[in-house]
Amino acid sequence: MISLNRASLRYGPILGLSPTSFELPDGGGITGLLGPNGAGKSSLLQLLSGLLPPSGGEVRVFGEAPFRNPAVLARLGLVPEGDRLPTGLRADRWLRMMGELSGLSGEALNAAVASALATVGMADRAHLTFTRMSKGMRQRIRLAQALMHGPELLILDEPFNGLDPEARLTLMALLRSLAEKGTRILVSSHILGEIAQLTDRILLLFRGRLLAEGSVTEIRQLLDRHPVELRLTGEAQVLARWAVEQPELAALRVEDGAVVISVRSPREILPRLQKAAAEGGIPLQALDPLDLNLDAVFQYLTKDHA
Amino acid sequence: MSTAIPTPLATIRATARGYLPRVFQGRGWVLAALVMVPVGLSLLIYTVAQIKGAGDSHPHPGEVLKIFHEVLVKMMLPIMALVAAPAGIREDMEQRTLALMLVRPAPVWALPLGKGLPWFFWGAAWLVLGTLGLQVIGGDPALLPGRLVALVSAWWGELALMTLVGLFFKRGTLWGALYFFLWEPLVRIFPPILQRLTFTHHIESLAGSRAAEVGTSQLLAQEQVSTHPALACLALLAFGVLCWALAGWKLHRTPLGLAGSEAEG
Repeated sequence: MISLNRASLRYGPILGLSPTSFELPDGGGITGLLGPNGAGKSSLLQLLSGLLPPSGGEVRVFGEAPFRNPAVLARLGLVPEGDRLPTGLRADRWLRMMGELSGLSGEALNAAVASALATVGMADRAHLTFTRMSKGMRQRIRLAQALMHGPELLILDEPFNGLDPEARLTLMALLRSLAEKGTRILVSSHILGEIAQLTDRILLLFRGRLLAEGSVTEIRQLLDRHPVELRLTGEAQVLARWAVEQPELAALRVEDGAVVISVRSPREILPRLQKAAAEGGIPLQALDPLDLNLDAVFQYLTKDHA
Repeated sequence: MSTAIPTPLATIRATARGYLPRVFQGRGWVLAALVMVPVGLSLLIYTVAQIKGAGDSHPHPGEVLKIFHEVLVKMMLPIMALVAAPAGIREDMEQRTLALMLVRPAPVWALPLGKGLPWFFWGAAWLVLGTLGLQVIGGDPALLPGRLVALVSAWWGELALMTLVGLFFKRGTLWGALYFFLWEPLVRIFPPILQRLTFTHHIESLAGSRAAEVGTSQLLAQEQVSTHPALACLALLAFGVLCWALAGWKLHRTPLGLAGSEAEG
């Protein structure tokens, strides 16, 4: 569905995106595009949505270059960052225009507008002008305009910004539901928790470079030299004695009566730990991985490339 | 859902209809006032004079000629273009909402015209109304059709020009103002070939020259040339079409991102 071959983007002398290559397969699913502000997320999304042509390399969406390509644009929807909408217009009329610009007409257009408004929960407030809408309402309308023509690829740039917790959950549920129905969704965020809640498949960008691609676990496995922290709760002295004998141990400290160990290759040490605990060799009461989450992966990767 | 690629005509129609409500808001009424305030004031003065039975209350074609050429053509028409054009496609660029239209399969080149048409028709309606209002004061009925065609076709050309300038320059309004208020007045001293490169020349060819009315301080430095009215009208309309086409081409060719600024493609 999406393929980048050393695609790059420059804004004059500034490099927005270094030569980047990756592919996303056909079919539904959610892919998170993760990176801090200025990482190149919006640049990448602008290349994919056909707003900008690559400065170098090649971008293919549905097998074609997307820039000013109606055949590609008819099949994708974009929700850009922010809540900007044209001033002085009513939401329902503006959506009708957007539908017509997407090639809808007649009954299909009426149905699409009604369906998109219902999907985002704005059917009863669509007669309002944008200036009278809250940020969250405008965000929903922006989502509706991207959904109304039934895109196969939905691109969302920081869609959770400015949404209250309830609206976030609603949007996440909606995105999951669309993905289950076969829509490929690419969603960017600089907040790790949002992406982690939404999907396990991520593209990690930093300073215009694609650092990693895959699931959180897969990316974690790329980082063998970065130890994983495990918190072992039990009799600290005995646990520490057992831990220092392990060849994978990188560091050890005692915190609040628990032993926190940093180990390389956790997949090797964990079975031994479980076996020792099961056989009564160590008094282990609880085992918590401290940093096997997206935040830790993100910090490790970005620290390396800073 | 199956969608068809919108035709250019469907794109223009959809955009014009979608943005039509904008002309009924503040900027649209400013546009109306630009035409109707001078005409309305003239009407008021004329009516008051008539009620008081003043000696000069009779219809005055010379006054009409002055208001038409000095106020409407020379001042209000350019200001209308300078006010309306930024509300066209330039507005979406500055509000950063253009991306929402550019990611549609509709032909991008048709968007400037689609957004400009409501402003053109709105402005044209007021110009027609204003010109008709001048007839009450005593405009020459024989000159009325020429004046109407001159104002509407010049409005078409000037609005298109300002839209184009707004797409080429960040400070399009400034460049437009310089053109209208520095270049156009030079028509009085231009040689014939350069006179034809002004709106004023074509408007006067259509609406009738005011040369007979100029005072000694306004003597022409060069011989005033005239173009056949049909050709002048065609020139204004064709110039407008050319500007809309160039604006469409510029928008189509320019990679405009989410920030509304260009990237190096």
